[in-house]
Amino acid sequence: MSKPQALIEQVRSSVAVELERRHAPTLLADRKAAKAAKHKAKHHKYTKAAFFRYCYYDPAFKFFCEQVLDVDYLPLPEATRAASEVGVQNSSDYVCTPFKHILGDFAEALDLGADILIQFGGPCRLGYYGELQESILRDMGYEFIMMNFARGIELGYIGWAKEVLKTVNPNIDVPHGVVKLKAVAKMIEHLDSLRDFYLANAGFEVQRGSFDAAWVSAMDAMRTCLDERDINEAYREAMAAFRAIPLDKPADPIRIGIVGEMFTAIDERSNLGLDHKLVAMGVEVHRMLNFTNRYLRYNEPNLRVGAKDYLTYDMGPTSTLTVAAAKKYAAGGFDGLIHAKSAGCTPEIDCIPVLQKVSEDYSVPVLYLTYDSQTSDTGLDTRLEAFYDMLSMKKEKSK
Amino acid sequence: MPQTTDWADVQVVGIPRALLFYRFGVLWTTFFESIGRTVVVSDPTDKAIADGGDRLSVDECCLASKVFIGHVESLAGRCDAVFVPCYPTSDHRSGFCTKFQSATDMVRNTFRDDKLRVISCEVQNARKVKDVRRAFCDMAARMGVAPKDARAAFKAAWDAQRAHDEALADAQERTLRRLIDERRAADAAAAAGDDSVARPLGILVVAHPYISHDPYLSGAVIDSLEDMGATVVYADAMDHERAYKKSFEFSGTMPWLINRELIGSILLAQDDIDGIVLISAFPCGPDSMTDDAIMRCIQGTPILNLMIDAQSGTAGVETRVESFVDILRFQQKGGYVHE
Repeated sequence: MSKPQALIEQVRSSVAVELERRHAPTLLADRKAAKAAKHKAKHHKYTKAAFFRYCYYDPAFKFFCEQVLDVDYLPLPEATRAASEVGVQNSSDYVCTPFKHILGDFAEALDLGADILIQFGGPCRLGYYGELQESILRDMGYEFIMMNFARGIELGYIGWAKEVLKTVNPNIDVPHGVVKLKAVAKMIEHLDSLRDFYLANAGFEVQRGSFDAAWVSAMDAMRTCLDERDINEAYREAMAAFRAIPLDKPADPIRIGIVGEMFTAIDERSNLGLDHKLVAMGVEVHRMLNFTNRYLRYNEPNLRVGAKDYLTYDMGPTSTLTVAAAKKYAAGGFDGLIHAKSAGCTPEIDCIPVLQKVSEDYSVPVLYLTYDSQTSDTGLDTRLEAFYDMLSMKKEKSK
Repeated sequence: MPQTTDWADVQVVGIPRALLFYRFGVLWTTFFESIGRTVVVSDPTDKAIADGGDRLSVDECCLASKVFIGHVESLAGRCDAVFVPCYPTSDHRSGFCTKFQSATDMVRNTFRDDKLRVISCEVQNARKVKDVRRAFCDMAARMGVAPKDARAAFKAAWDAQRAHDEALADAQERTLRRLIDERRAADAAAAAGDDSVARPLGILVVAHPYISHDPYLSGAVIDSLEDMGATVVYADAMDHERAYKKSFEFSGTMPWLINRELIGSILLAQDDIDGIVLISAFPCGPDSMTDDAIMRCIQGTPILNLMIDAQSGTAGVETRVESFVDILRFQQKGGYVHE
């Protein structure tokens, strides 16, 4: 039974001696700043919003900012090592890795001129990211407005709408915004479906690089969409371009399913280009985990029914999706599974004993990958190659 | 739908002495005893249990979780079934680490080949008596207990837990009051020119209850604090309700109940104590974020942040605690710089 790699030794103790009380013991931004923010929001002076870098959802974020929030969107350039380094230096060392990446992104966005930062809320540590990052960035000296979806979560959509109106733009045309929000959902569905097609087929392109070229132009088309009609048009064209690419696909290719944590298993910057590495080896890749399946169509109790041999309760934010997808892939005769997560991601660590049982029951190999900010690219290459060789040998034998 | 009573034959219930046992243990044991079952609580943590848990767990799990798995293993063969409840984060401001949500299925899968039976219930919101009662009464129904008896047992259990919590909170209050009195007496004596009356040293220990009250995990820290003459106040044992409400002054979006109570206790007790010691088990998820927040935002009181893991010997801990207490004592005498 394969075991995941161990954590690296880290610092074990620290002391803080600050005898003077310089500010009130609170993480909440002080009242003066709140007042200033409210004033600026009212007069709509804050205009440039930035998200963190996240997978291929950048067009959807752009559409959301420009069409729903009615503010400018500040796109971030390609990620660099230096940007992540800022995040690593300014966060506690054993916090989960996405926190560090996102903090680095935010610092970079503020350097580039963003006024508004947008952060999600979620059921695990993610729910606390926004507040802590805001406090860290303010301590670093930045001034900005944080639009934190972890606030107002008790009231659901209404709470979020109030939060948006309060912090970002009080003059949003609400009915118009709701229509555009539906278009955002459509765009996410289309992006996910494009990505699914890409993952399944890009490994077998005759002309190397044709899928990547089509992908880039599809993303460009998505970025310039103004309404749902544009989105559908862009999707149709992108799909047509994908389908037109000549393939040389064997009847029974090696198929790998990726499961794992929401951020690391999808985001190519955090998982060191896992998608591209697998595709380059000529593998058909499947990944059930995406926004569409986790948010737009997520029905946890029903999803759990399919994996009820392994699950009694919902084990965590994406755990049911991880286990259900793993079981589906294993039962569907996939050659191998890859479980990707960031270091210290508690819900996904707790999924590992379950995945080990799935692996035993269906005799399907699982490669457990843990990423932290120091994980090396070559180390990953070696592991993936070894895993691929093992799978292809297993496949040869069973023929 | 007829209720299945597939747990009716469970007569001896095993409860691991780990994780939330330190928070809700009285409720659990009283409940099972009141419905006529025998309760076996696993022995206090020792090296064998910790090592067993380490062997069975995934390497990356936190120390507390490994110890928990060790306790479950030690119960195998000593009971008919092990009780592992599930505490999901259904309320966004009073949830738990996802570890407590996945504990049931983690144990079920880890011990699947050993045919270990697990009984469980899903408590949606631990702060709402209705939610807790529903979970426990549903479980009792599966154990073949009549609804009326289950409700009576639950009431007894809930009251017992509350009485237990109140007694603990009272003890902390008394300690804090004693510290204030002693400090006043020392000040009065010093004003009168008598330096022989020592000022007390109050230390607030901030840690999850399953860390601070488990002698194997944090005993070395608590012992060396007491050996140095410090008075220890436990943040986790202070009045939960007051601390929870107070925590909203510190953070609006913090999702964890226990961390909220700890931070609320810090805010409540900060003026009456001399130093704060944070203890967390490596690598605790919630603590990785809240400790950072505490270290940066709580000012005016020196803070020692200690991380314990399976490898750390007591010597390292003692030196750190000693030097911290020295800082505090020095501070009491006027500090490094005489202004």
